[in-house]
Amino acid sequence: MTDVREAPPPFDTPRLREVDTDEQLHELWDDPPGLWGKLRAVQNDAIGVRLLLTGFFFLILGGTVDSVVMRLQLAVPDNELVSPQLYSELFTNHGSVTMFLVILPIFEGFAILVLPLLLGTREMPFPRLGAFAYYTFLLGGLLYYSSTLFMLVPDTGWFAYTPLSGPEFSPDKAMDFWVLGLGVAEIGAIAAAIEIIISVLKTRAPGMTLARVPLFAWALLVTAFMILFAFTPVIVGSLLLELDRGFGMQFFDPERGGSSLLWQHLFWIFGHPEVYIQFLPAVGIVSMIVPVFARRRMVAYPWQVASLVAIGFLSFGLWAHHMFTVGLTPVVGSFFSAASIVIGVPAAVQIFAWIATIWGGRVRWKTPFLFVVGFVALFVLGGITGIMVASVPFDLQAHDSYFVVAHLHYVLIGGVAFPIFAGVYYWFPKFTGKMLDERLGRWNFWLLFVGTNVAFFPMHIVGLMGMPRRVYTYPAGLGWEVWNLISTIGVFIIVPGIGVFVWNVVRSWRRGEPAGHNPWGADTLEWATPSPPVAHAFSVPPVVGSRHPLWDQDDLHAGSPEVSQFVTALSQWPLKWRAVLVTRTGDAQPEEVFRVADPSIWPLVAAIGAVSIFVAELLKLRLGALVGLAIVVGAVIAWNWPERVEATEEEEEAFEREHGIPVRVGGSWVVARWAMGLVIMILGIAFGAFLLSYFYLQTANESWPPPGIDLPQPFWPAVAAVLVAGGGLAMLHAHRSIRVGRQAGLRTGLAGALAAGIVALVVQVLDFQGLGFGATEHAYGSIFYTLGGFALAVMSGGLIFGGLAAYWSVRPGFTARRHTPVTNLARYWAALVVIWIGGFGTLYVGPWVT
Amino acid sequence: MSVAWLSAPIVARGSLDPRGPVAGEIADLWWWMLAVAAVVFLAVLVLLGVSLRSRRTGERVARRLVVAGGVVMPAVVLTAVLVVSVATTNAIPFAAGPGALRVEVTGHQWWWEVRYPDHGFATANEIHLPVGRQVEFTLRSADVIHSFWVPQLGGKIDALPDHPNTLVLQADEPGEYRGVCAEFCGIQHAKMGLLVVAQPPDEFAAWLDAQARPAPPPEGRLPRRGAVVFGAAGCGMCHSVRGTDAAGARAPDLTHFGSRRTLAAAALPATGEHIRDWVADPQSIKEGALMEGADLGASDLAALVAYLEGLE
Repeated sequence: MTDVREAPPPFDTPRLREVDTDEQLHELWDDPPGLWGKLRAVQNDAIGVRLLLTGFFFLILGGTVDSVVMRLQLAVPDNELVSPQLYSELFTNHGSVTMFLVILPIFEGFAILVLPLLLGTREMPFPRLGAFAYYTFLLGGLLYYSSTLFMLVPDTGWFAYTPLSGPEFSPDKAMDFWVLGLGVAEIGAIAAAIEIIISVLKTRAPGMTLARVPLFAWALLVTAFMILFAFTPVIVGSLLLELDRGFGMQFFDPERGGSSLLWQHLFWIFGHPEVYIQFLPAVGIVSMIVPVFARRRMVAYPWQVASLVAIGFLSFGLWAHHMFTVGLTPVVGSFFSAASIVIGVPAAVQIFAWIATIWGGRVRWKTPFLFVVGFVALFVLGGITGIMVASVPFDLQAHDSYFVVAHLHYVLIGGVAFPIFAGVYYWFPKFTGKMLDERLGRWNFWLLFVGTNVAFFPMHIVGLMGMPRRVYTYPAGLGWEVWNLISTIGVFIIVPGIGVFVWNVVRSWRRGEPAGHNPWGADTLEWATPSPPVAHAFSVPPVVGSRHPLWDQDDLHAGSPEVSQFVTALSQWPLKWRAVLVTRTGDAQPEEVFRVADPSIWPLVAAIGAVSIFVAELLKLRLGALVGLAIVVGAVIAWNWPERVEATEEEEEAFEREHGIPVRVGGSWVVARWAMGLVIMILGIAFGAFLLSYFYLQTANESWPPPGIDLPQPFWPAVAAVLVAGGGLAMLHAHRSIRVGRQAGLRTGLAGALAAGIVALVVQVLDFQGLGFGATEHAYGSIFYTLGGFALAVMSGGLIFGGLAAYWSVRPGFTARRHTPVTNLARYWAALVVIWIGGFGTLYVGPWVT
Repeated sequence: MSVAWLSAPIVARGSLDPRGPVAGEIADLWWWMLAVAAVVFLAVLVLLGVSLRSRRTGERVARRLVVAGGVVMPAVVLTAVLVVSVATTNAIPFAAGPGALRVEVTGHQWWWEVRYPDHGFATANEIHLPVGRQVEFTLRSADVIHSFWVPQLGGKIDALPDHPNTLVLQADEPGEYRGVCAEFCGIQHAKMGLLVVAQPPDEFAAWLDAQARPAPPPEGRLPRRGAVVFGAAGCGMCHSVRGTDAAGARAPDLTHFGSRRTLAAAALPATGEHIRDWVADPQSIKEGALMEGADLGASDLAALVAYLEGLE
């Protein structure tokens, strides 16, 4: 660990070594030119900037325009500027867009743009997945927004509580736009999260041990894990809602065995962590900026990391504090209250770590820092009111009042938007080569800071006076008028602030002052590259020996002789394929060199396929949904199709002999397995959400199965389960065989597993057809077929994947050295066995036991 | 329309102007938390301000600051908040004691059905309570989720379609207290208000007696004609007037409509003019409301209003 009492960082920071292969690396790494090239682009620079721009576009559309109209309507009592219907649409849109289409894409954009540079690697590990994430987010957002063209704008709030959002009370298609459009965007969020997790854990520069990882990367790592755990349940919830809406199922209809509160649980298991998913990256940005502008090393780095992780865990234990008014027992209420209050500790640790860092430093008042100071003030206030509403009795008054509106805007504008602005001012020079204007920056800051307080502080008061949320008007004479008028004035201070920001970006991008490579005298690796950086970022990968490499290292490539020699070698070979270095998770020693994907059109096609499924569901073209599914499956297969390998196994082994680090051109052993691990994790979380729904519905019903439905007979499902387990063993055999190069064992294993899987699938489907109940009469049938259908879908995925592996086992053929798909298939199949047996065990044996 | 509320004799000052023990406990909790919050907030701001101007400090001092401010301070403050909060929770009754008045409230899009099960009658959007006696509210919903909130008396509780919820409140002073629906429930969520009228016990007993009786027969030419219009226009398909053929259950019970102080779920004061406007064109007052306007001539309308006002 480095000492804090060091002298202030020097401004002439070290730069990266230039090498004679730069030209070739450019050619290799640059995205192809032209429109076709742009559609195929996968480079993190391109994808990151697109995510950011699209996020800001939605921010202005849904964050700003909506709120101006709403505040005008509420400026005076009994106003008739907008109709009640339009007002419902406005606040639904405002919440949905900012929560799903603004903050998350902006942070994922920052992540994809900055992470490779920050971590000292050339590219994210799965560039095509990044491109897919962008396109799903963009197309999902556009699908959602297209509801305005059809005058079918969602109008039941961003939380879409059932039964209001269900088929009975929202019979038109407006809510389908909400479920389906945002569903696509949620898939994009998960795709980007996989990319971020593996990037932070596996593609760091040699020497960047876990104790040297920049806090922004730590924050993104925790956030990405949270996205997996939060977004998967809400996708499951959205699926159930759409099954109710589009297929006549009964998950949320209390008269048919459903439960209106099941939705609230699934939604808030997502919805509360979502707040911290938005907040943690903001914390990360602040932790990058504070040391640079205070010119002092971050104090209490381990505490900061621990706080980030603690917030990540705790945020999943307090979703029910959004449900204090649904009639929880006092004990349950107190538990969630305590859990919600405890999260104040890690938050306070963060704040005091920043204050302590600033305390020891000499501050430079540049715009990014100004936003950070504004952030601390606003966030502390929002955090304090957050503690207040975590108190059950007070929340019984404050819940769904304007007090909560005030609280959440202090947290989301002060706590999240301010760091976003700080981040833009901070990193803009790096990626455009131009400085943002300081004078405009100050205007930007002060307008936003004053405007936010003027707009949102009065809402605390009017909320305590009894004004509920989501009202399109209010009567005069209750003392609310003046506070509402002040709030409206505040918005008209915020809007010019955002205008100044947009103008600053546009103007500076075109003719801002040149930035140089490190205008802030910053400490992390991205500032060692030219501004803007080249596509491959590092010709010679950097070697890290400190938490603040640019402050502490004279030479960014110095390490142990082996590592130095190794990174130099990587600038000379390979020059024909995009090589990225994998390092060990803990100590960041080189582990593997693998080939990342080239540009490809298939991520775009897959995203279009995914959106087509949802569009077809909107139009009730069930055949169209199947076509969309076929497009997705085809595109994903095409995008993962083994590419021509530009290096023989002999070349790989030669490099490995010289440097001791394996080269895997035919598929990484490390990151691919991590990715499969995360896919299994997502399947597990989804499975958990289905099980939770099953048991929640069981407890909501007095008899289970309901009267008139017999207990399910487990004989044939047991036969199917035995077959699936046998298939798992066959798959294990296949994998063991290829690891030692035995082709015959591989083929028999694959064939056995596939045969067992197909027979099991058929047996189970036949058993379903013999059951005497349907999916639409009662919630029991709905969850029965949905949970069972999930297991069947996982099996179908396994069969498609297995079929491909069988084909690939012949052409191009697997070897003991190149067989990553078989490894992943074996792991997938193991997860499949667990889900199959657990799922059908619950359905067929559970009711006998309980 | 807006002036109406200014002239209306309604006091509504929110959760910090408590008129019952539950709201009182919560208001006390709030003022206590506000005091603590103000101290913490100012302390953090002062520390931040000082840090911005300070000279450099050693690592040890910095770490101490993190431990003191980030761990010790919140541990103390948050524990105190939790303890006081749980104490407040315990001070709030979750079940009514013996002798409590029982009131069943059912949320509808967008009005409140109010039943007094021990007295056998129903009314709507206006709840009368005896001062100084506990009231046990049983909340249900006939459609979507609503939330019942009378800030001056206490916290809110959701009205669910799944199962009933209970809320125990008490008013200590006579007066009129405004209530609202606090859970977004559709297009007219904003105009789903109610009025709580707290009365001295004898006044309340008189009110109960009056409400339990069937509707008085119309007196006078105009109200009698109004009763005919009421039947002919089909009002009784949705509304009930006890003692007549009107027995609809989808809309507010009108048996003693003339005694109620507000109209359309507390959207308007119940003056003759407002009743006429509402009956003639409810959509212009509450767009999306489930009531259709009565297509009546001016004289029929006047007769109908006279009949309704006479339902005391």
